Amino acid sequence: MLPHGDDEEKWLAEGIAGIQHNAFYMHRALDSNDLKDALRYSVQMLSELRTSLLSPHKYYELYMRAFDELRKMEMFFREETARGTISVIELYELVQHAGNILPRLYLLCTVGSVYIKSKEAPAKDVLKDLVEMCRGIQHPVRGLFLRSYLCQISRDKLPDIGSEYEGDADTVNHAIEFVIQNFTEMNKLWVRMQHQGPTREKDKREKERSQLRDLVGKNLHVLSQIEGVDLDIYKETVLPRVLEQVVNCKDELAQHYLMDCIIQVFPDEYHLQTLETLLGAFPQLQPTVDIKTVLSQLMDRLSNYAASSIEVLPEFLQVEAFSKLSNAIGKVIEAQVDMPVVGAITLYVSLLTFTLRVHPDRLDYVDQVLGACVKKFSGRAKLEDSRATKQIVALLSAPLEKYNDIGTALKLPNYPRVMDHLDNGTNKVMAVVIIQSIMKNTTCISTADKVEALFELIKGLIRDMDETQDDEIDEEDFKEEQNSVARLIHMLHNDDPEEMLKIICTVRKHIILGGPKRLPFTVPPLVFSALKLVRHLQGQDGDVIGEEISATPKKIFQILHQTIEALLSVPSPELALRLYLQCAEAANDCDLEPVAYEFFTQAFILYEEEVADSKAQVTAIHLIIGTLQRMNVFGVENRDTLTHKATGYSAKLLKKPDQCRAVYACSHLFWVDEQDGIKDGERVLLCLKRALRIANAAQQMANVTRGSSGPVILFIEILNKYLYFFEKGNPQVTSSVLQGLIELIKTEMQTDGSSDPSADAFFASTLRYIQFQKQKGGAMGEKYDPIKI
Amino acid sequence: MASRRRMLLKVIILGDSGVGKTSLMNQYVNKKFSNQYKATIGADFLTKEVQIDDRLFTLQIWDTAGQERFQSLGVAFYRGADCCVLVYDVNVMKSFDNLNNWREEFLLQASPSDPENFPFIVLGNKIDIDGGNSRVVSEKKAKAWCASKGNIPYFETSAKEGLNVEAAFQCIAMNALKNEPEEDIYLPDTIDVAGGGRQLQRSSGCEC
Repeated sequence: MLPHGDDEEKWLAEGIAGIQHNAFYMHRALDSNDLKDALRYSVQMLSELRTSLLSPHKYYELYMRAFDELRKMEMFFREETARGTISVIELYELVQHAGNILPRLYLLCTVGSVYIKSKEAPAKDVLKDLVEMCRGIQHPVRGLFLRSYLCQISRDKLPDIGSEYEGDADTVNHAIEFVIQNFTEMNKLWVRMQHQGPTREKDKREKERSQLRDLVGKNLHVLSQIEGVDLDIYKETVLPRVLEQVVNCKDELAQHYLMDCIIQVFPDEYHLQTLETLLGAFPQLQPTVDIKTVLSQLMDRLSNYAASSIEVLPEFLQVEAFSKLSNAIGKVIEAQVDMPVVGAITLYVSLLTFTLRVHPDRLDYVDQVLGACVKKFSGRAKLEDSRATKQIVALLSAPLEKYNDIGTALKLPNYPRVMDHLDNGTNKVMAVVIIQSIMKNTTCISTADKVEALFELIKGLIRDMDETQDDEIDEEDFKEEQNSVARLIHMLHNDDPEEMLKIICTVRKHIILGGPKRLPFTVPPLVFSALKLVRHLQGQDGDVIGEEISATPKKIFQILHQTIEALLSVPSPELALRLYLQCAEAANDCDLEPVAYEFFTQAFILYEEEVADSKAQVTAIHLIIGTLQRMNVFGVENRDTLTHKATGYSAKLLKKPDQCRAVYACSHLFWVDEQDGIKDGERVLLCLKRALRIANAAQQMANVTRGSSGPVILFIEILNKYLYFFEKGNPQVTSSVLQGLIELIKTEMQTDGSSDPSADAFFASTLRYIQFQKQKGGAMGEKYDPIKI
Repeated sequence: MASRRRMLLKVIILGDSGVGKTSLMNQYVNKKFSNQYKATIGADFLTKEVQIDDRLFTLQIWDTAGQERFQSLGVAFYRGADCCVLVYDVNVMKSFDNLNNWREEFLLQASPSDPENFPFIVLGNKIDIDGGNSRVVSEKKAKAWCASKGNIPYFETSAKEGLNVEAAFQCIAMNALKNEPEEDIYLPDTIDVAGGGRQLQRSSGCEC
């Protein structure tokens, strides 16, 4: 019958009361130096520890009460023996008359402590006797606490080297022997505990055993604190004996905990020098033991040690720590066939962390670890355990963080192989990590080979990896991913045009497979990257003409042409049109008339055939007009063809106001305000007049349909165009023409019923401008003088 | 003769893993130091005789595991402590930040009757490392924290060099001695000569 909640509290309270009660009389006896009564009440007090009703936590509380009282007994014993009332040997005999074994042994240990202190017998003999006598308690909880008491009171009385209880030449061994024996007995009690009691309470028992674990582990802590345990003794005696106990107890909980303890309580140097022995124990542990956690802790500890000082690194090399750990991990993974994949990867992550810290120069080690991972994965389906994939991301990120250079990772043959085993989602996560690393370190990837390798790594972002079109992909995430690819493309650069061209071709090869969703993100950065190369070549101005070179603007424009074409399948005609215009402008700057003409032709074809939306048409035509206006490469004939088309399309836009604005914009195609720019005043005027006619028509249409206000603002806009050309000296635009237009607008505004405040303001400020120019004097003032407002 | 009990002063050392709790105790009690890190499991104590005002006391110094997983049985040993020593590593910010947690955890678990005035001492250890160049917690900052918690005495120590260790523990002993003992005062209501009687009550009366 094991206790629950309130019952347990009650039993604890009763136990405490029993201890207090007897302690009261014990104190009285102590105060009157009454040894007999002191012993009697202390025995009764200690009898409270015979309870089986308490959980380890509560028992510990009770134990601590008794423990504190025993300190008073200990002091009393010391005083009594010092005064010579009784010899310590007699006392040692006397306490053994206590009727109950548990109180007897607590008292015996207490007197034993005084006995050792008195040095009337060698410490080793007293300790040996005590550790043997404690065998009398075979109840696990009571036995563990009693032996933990022995461990505590002997803690500062071991015949350690340099201790005041140091004995013969073999002194340290006696100390070690004592602790190991106590440890062994405690471990047995602890392991045996699981078999006592009904099976249905097994979980509860395991929980209680877990609470008791530090009582056992404390012995190892004591061992580690023994001064005389040097590396040799640790290697020859301590470690083998402790491991023997750990392996032979065949208990999962004990093995896991004790291996952890060994790793934590003994110093790093010892572990390094005994790696083989320590690691050799792992495959002998029960198959259910969570070895990976323990091994990881060992590697983490050693990694920290390696990081602590550069001076310790030779130690690692000398003992070939990496290959030993790597071997051990291999064996453990082989032996534990049921170990989940996440366990294996966790081990590899720790090993990788270890090698990155200890052997940062050994890329082959890094690749070896990755290779071991690949081997583990081979023949399996893609990983879908989220904990496992998380560990792989950690595994693959570690070298990036360490070297801050993707170039290093690209040199590892097994790196992409590990990535191949990731599910698509994780593959993408990893690809993003890689890109972020590149962006963070502004790493420039400068050869086509590296680019090839890199795109192989991040292919999860570049193209669809399986047929199942992922419908659950978040639109925002997708955009974010593709934007990061776009950013990446700008990080691929080489100053050598030949290599840069190769890079561009490589990127093109990959992104062209991206499908309609990705191309709009990836084509523009590639186009601009290629145009940058074009500008670069153009800057070199034919230095290399005649050489066998492929990196010529012409060739690049050809590639660009094909690349932009890919957008048509998306379809994304507006984007393609913009890019064609960009190319045309670049070709213009390279003085390549046929090429520029071809791009314009493509742009017009797109406009005619693909751009259907009227708003998109407006935007496109203005882009065309703007670009065309800046072109100076064209001969008369080509130019006429293109401007003719542009004005034609302008006049055919769906809405009158759009037509009007596009047409007056076309006027700039005939008047380029540059040294050698075309200045065809007549055709400018034709455009403006045509715009006026359209504005008129728009006005009339508005009157018919709504019977009210028309777009007066168009007239004002046209007036401003007139003013521009008037000032630029177009002979066709005279002051009287302007005067007429002003009057027209005034009339329109008066007849127009409702007023449009923005039109009013626009007109007013236009008039103010004219007024200002008139008053300015000089040539411009004279020019404006005839106009009356 | 209530003095027998007062000859023992119980001190608990708390702090993060690796700040040097065991090393401080070993330096003070055994005058020994090892650079190697060895985790402590559970809790155990060493004793040392100290002299205060011509009287001899036994200082019972409890060293504890900084790693939580090695404290499986809980902290029943906090009971009856006369002083609590909080240790941090001046080179590790986190260990300083955690002092507050350790202090509160101690007050919660040990539940002294007068928590406001329970004696604490703070030790900033490892001041020797790298000639002090790697320290991240300034003396000023540590002192400010100590002042804010009711003027906790503060020492900067090096367990390795033995710097200030003796002085710190002398102060610890003095403060432990000042702490009023709060042992449950127990008086039996019936004199039960045979012992084992369970019909007991706690008395709330005074000691005399």
